[in-house]
Amino acid sequence: MESLRSFLKESLDKYDMPFPVDKKVCSGWAKDLPHGGETIIFTSCMYQIEPVVPTLSKFSSMTGIFTGALKGLSSLAKLVKPSKEEIDRAYKILNNVVNALRRRGINPGYLYEDEPYSGALLLEAGLLEDFANHARRVASMLRDRGVKRVITVDPHTHNALTRYAEFVPFDVEVVNYLQLVDAEKKIEGEFTIHDSCLYSRFLDLRDRYRELISKSGIKLNEDFLVTGRETSTCCGGPIALINRDLSESIAEKRAQELNKLSNKLLVVCPICYITLSPHFRGEVKDIAEVIL
Amino acid sequence: MTWEIAIERTIRNNVPRVYNVLEKYPYILELARELREAKLEVLNNLESYVEQTVESVKRIGGVPHVVGNSEEAREVVSKIIGDRKKIVMGKSMVAFEVGLREHLKNMGKEVWETDLGEFLIQLANEPPSHIIAPAVHMSKERAEELVREALGGLPPNSTHEQIVARVREFLRDKFVNAEVGITGANAIAADTGSIILVENEGNIRFTTVSPPLHIAVAGFEKIVPTLPHAMMEAMVQAAYAGLYPPTYVNLTSGPSSTGDIEMKRVSPAHGPKEFHLVLVDNGRVRASKDPDLREALLCIRCGRCHLHCPVYRAMDGKWGVPPYSGPMGSMWSYIVFGDPKPSLLCTHSGGCKEVCPMKINIPKVLEKIKARAWS
Ligand code: SF4
Repeated sequence: MESLRSFLKESLDKYDMPFPVDKKVCSGWAKDLPHGGETIIFTSCMYQIEPVVPTLSKFSSMTGIFTGALKGLSSLAKLVKPSKEEIDRAYKILNNVVNALRRRGINPGYLYEDEPYSGALLLEAGLLEDFANHARRVASMLRDRGVKRVITVDPHTHNALTRYAEFVPFDVEVVNYLQLVDAEKKIEGEFTIHDSCLYSRFLDLRDRYRELISKSGIKLNEDFLVTGRETSTCCGGPIALINRDLSESIAEKRAQELNKLSNKLLVVCPICYITLSPHFRGEVKDIAEVIL
Repeated sequence: MTWEIAIERTIRNNVPRVYNVLEKYPYILELARELREAKLEVLNNLESYVEQTVESVKRIGGVPHVVGNSEEAREVVSKIIGDRKKIVMGKSMVAFEVGLREHLKNMGKEVWETDLGEFLIQLANEPPSHIIAPAVHMSKERAEELVREALGGLPPNSTHEQIVARVREFLRDKFVNAEVGITGANAIAADTGSIILVENEGNIRFTTVSPPLHIAVAGFEKIVPTLPHAMMEAMVQAAYAGLYPPTYVNLTSGPSSTGDIEMKRVSPAHGPKEFHLVLVDNGRVRASKDPDLREALLCIRCGRCHLHCPVYRAMDGKWGVPPYSGPMGSMWSYIVFGDPKPSLLCTHSGGCKEVCPMKINIPKVLEKIKARAWS
């Protein structure tokens, strides 16, 4: 356990991310966004880097392997580069979000390579002290940059940032893109849906994205025991670094249940996408790839 | 594979049933809200409610015992039992928590679990996999094999009914000849000293009435302010377990007695001569004073959170320190056994908090326990 913690800490110190990551990969999607500003988009590099997490968790566990990995953090950084296809997809999603915001008259800035990590992984692993310290650093950085409002694009970052105020003084407004965009495209087709546990049962955004989906014309195939608010379950992704086998087993079961409803699956979170994709037979799409 | 089939069937059977019960009897939701308030009141003054309960139990002719930990609980119960040999047990999580059955067996007692699920796991020598359906991990085939091996008298390919009938036949004698009946308690009324037990099999009714000595072993957190609250807990627990109305609600207030001859109170009548209530702390007072953990003590053991949890499902019911499993179990593994590790596996799926009748924010409690696991 301690080795996992030191790995995360060292990586955060060195790379400002929980894994060794080339920050250019995180910021490469944005070309013409203003640097900083009062309102910024906050990606926390989630869509960009999530594709490599399974590779990391494959040789992670709490067995001490991190101690070995620590010595080669920089060589690891090369290893954890997403493929071109994965990067293109992530960049497209983020640009879809920004374009949809612009259509609503919102022109967010971006911190590019200076964008910090939200600390979500620390919070979710229960490393609460480390999370508080991290939140303090991010809060002060945002204050120094004059940021008043952040727009998040994924549930884990949204959850982490909306919880900062429980740990440190934080008065930046945190909104999620789903609260701001509209479904302007008309889509025909049927999907089933895997809800994000955080959006659905912690952050009160489930009805909001369902409203957008329904407005777009997509028909959702649902079953109350599989996709209900209280009956749907997590994809298993958030536990991958602690226990990969458990994470995989949850994902496999979840994908099987969802497959009974459709071979086209909508997700609303980059972790769900990566975790469920290997197990789901058919097409998996992020809502921002489809309706924006 | 057995587990996957068993849990899938359990979810399909039970989850819709609970929703139906709550829709049909909406007053349960109101009772659950009221019960939560009443239980919070107890948790804010747990030690004084324990004292009040002790006085009430004495007033109705029972013998109260307050114990700090498992060892004390085993010692007290052994003393009460003395030389008596034949013991039947109704389902009690706390009896398992303090290691009572094993202890009594090691003392050379003849001990039989009488709840069917508990009976099966006793035969299999396995820990319970769910708090209200302890043998939920067992298929019919496995149960059949166990009963045939231990008791004989089962034809090949026996039906569910035949298995149950064989166990019923075997336990009949045990109930009648038992010298001691040990149960838990779903709720304890501080004002009257009464205990309430909810069940569907009828085994608890037998266990509390047939033997001359009844010992109830329960955690401090089972105390509620008044008898109506205790009845409320029985109704809410049964409804959220999907078994409503419950077949039996047993209320015990002290030993049995009669005043039918010249109105002179004589004990026993047909029920036990002695009633003992063993109240177990095992970390509960400490948890009641800990704002991060207090909520967990509201749990009424309905078992609903388990069936809405992906971790419990994926871990074959083995998440937590027995007898505590699932989301509630990973909280209770820490409270009672001081083990914070199970909490680390919570993925904050969150279904548990949505369906918990006591509105316990389980992922939040587990988040705090996780933090302790790291330190
Ligand atoms: S935590 Fe809540 S849902 Fe789970 S067993 Fe206890 S009362 Fe029931």
